[in-house]
Amino acid sequence: MSNAGIYLRRRLVNVIALLFGGFATVLGLIFLVWILWVTISNGLSAIHPRLFTKITAYADQGGLANAIVGSLLMDMMALLICAPIGVLAGTYLAEYANRSKLGASIRFLNDILLSAPSIVMGLFVYVIIVLPMSNLTHGNISFSGFAGAVALALIGLPVIVRTTDEMLQLVPGTLREAALSLGVPQWKLTVQVLIRAASSGILTGVLLALARLAGETAPLLFTAFGNNFMTVHPLDKMASLPVAIYQYTNDPSPAMHSIAWAGALLITLFVLALSLLTRLLFSRKKVSYE
Amino acid sequence: MNDLAAAVAAPLASVDGRTKIKVRDVHFYYNGFHALKGVSMDIPEKQVTAIIGPSGCGKSTLLRIFNRIYAIYPKLEAKGSIELDGENILDPGYSMNRLRSKVGMVFQKPVPFPMTIFENVAYGIRHHEKLSKSDMESRVEQALRSSALWDEVKDKLKQNALGLSGGQQQRLCIARAIALKPEVLLLDEPTSALDPIATSRIEQLVEELKSEFTIVIVTHNMQQAARVSDYTAFMYIGELIEFGNTEKIFTKPDKKQTEDYITGRFG
Repeated sequence: MSNAGIYLRRRLVNVIALLFGGFATVLGLIFLVWILWVTISNGLSAIHPRLFTKITAYADQGGLANAIVGSLLMDMMALLICAPIGVLAGTYLAEYANRSKLGASIRFLNDILLSAPSIVMGLFVYVIIVLPMSNLTHGNISFSGFAGAVALALIGLPVIVRTTDEMLQLVPGTLREAALSLGVPQWKLTVQVLIRAASSGILTGVLLALARLAGETAPLLFTAFGNNFMTVHPLDKMASLPVAIYQYTNDPSPAMHSIAWAGALLITLFVLALSLLTRLLFSRKKVSYE
Repeated sequence: MNDLAAAVAAPLASVDGRTKIKVRDVHFYYNGFHALKGVSMDIPEKQVTAIIGPSGCGKSTLLRIFNRIYAIYPKLEAKGSIELDGENILDPGYSMNRLRSKVGMVFQKPVPFPMTIFENVAYGIRHHEKLSKSDMESRVEQALRSSALWDEVKDKLKQNALGLSGGQQQRLCIARAIALKPEVLLLDEPTSALDPIATSRIEQLVEELKSEFTIVIVTHNMQQAARVSDYTAFMYIGELIEFGNTEKIFTKPDKKQTEDYITGRFG
């Protein structure tokens, strides 16, 4: 084939590949924008100060105050449980078990946990926390905000383990060698140099986990259950935004539907804010290792 | 017969002055692969010794045995003996902490810690010694002065070290190593990631530092070896081919292989 023929063929293949790629991108974006548009247009028209001051007990005359407080409380509790464990486990994987068989098995199991159906986490926590609590207290305490937080923590944990592990592995090996060649022991190197070098990445992982667990409904159904009244006690049944949305959309009344849309918008905005924050954290770190 | 004796003795060419590191019959294995095959040499105190040779000849491997940094990876094994002031550092009983406070190392790519410039230098000192604030400050200043960086950073000691240029970062790494007051300084291709101006500053620095430290430098760059070193070791496929006075190695080497490499016929 002549050179001109080869060039023509390459240009043709290039155009076709570009067309397919562009089409796929547009298709994906259409649905994303559509989802956002539906959520924002329905949600905005339902936003009302009442949402933040009244509780769900007033039904279509009420708001989401107890669900917002419940979600924030459980998300924070979940983060307090899974962030330390996740960061430590990720550090262990990257720094102590990197090339071992044990490390490889833990990574594999963590990946399974990462993709496990979230309702399984809810059932698991129901069996290990909700039922025993109920038996021990003769039914006084059963579903609780605490149990909900544990279920959410199980959703966030593998995300944090994975990102911490990956971010630490991105730290150049020569940094480890440089610190060790000063005689610094491994634990000091890990805590004072490596975690610091990977800090913005690790924090990003924690925020991503928060964004992930903030939108979960299934793990809360059999754990926190839901509550139409305001409570901040971790051993009470607790309301949450996703569960409130789920209950309201099951109601035939259009007024309830619009409150559900408002709740959906609130969660979306929360997750959006978290994503923006992670972007900000990453861009603020101007200097880094290549 | 005489030739054979000369050939065996050749790598152990005598050096003037006191021997700091005595390398005897060192073998090294990477996961079973025989990377160093019986290397022996005497590294003189307070002189610059360059190790040259083509890629994969084992020069970095040899350097990395001198502070046992290879030991952080599994399945690497060194045999033979390396005596630092008469004590074998390959002896498992030789304290790693002591070895690394005596033998400092600077790597190919500058890798400052993610801390301020001051903290980068103070970090290692803090691990080995308890110093008062003012003692620490003067110690850090001294290290930065010795590495010819002080004038450039004295007004920004509290800034992140990652903001420095590549050449400055490498001098900071040298400051970090010499702040521990080591006796030996290992330089593993310290200028290969730097521009010519930064390179010449580092070379100048090596010249100044040899009055205080025994320096071993691995380099790809033969001109650099000729410029900065007093003694040169030429290695090829895991073996030490020739070791001697730099001037002699570069003008009238004993071995044909050395001459071929020096004159650019291979490598």
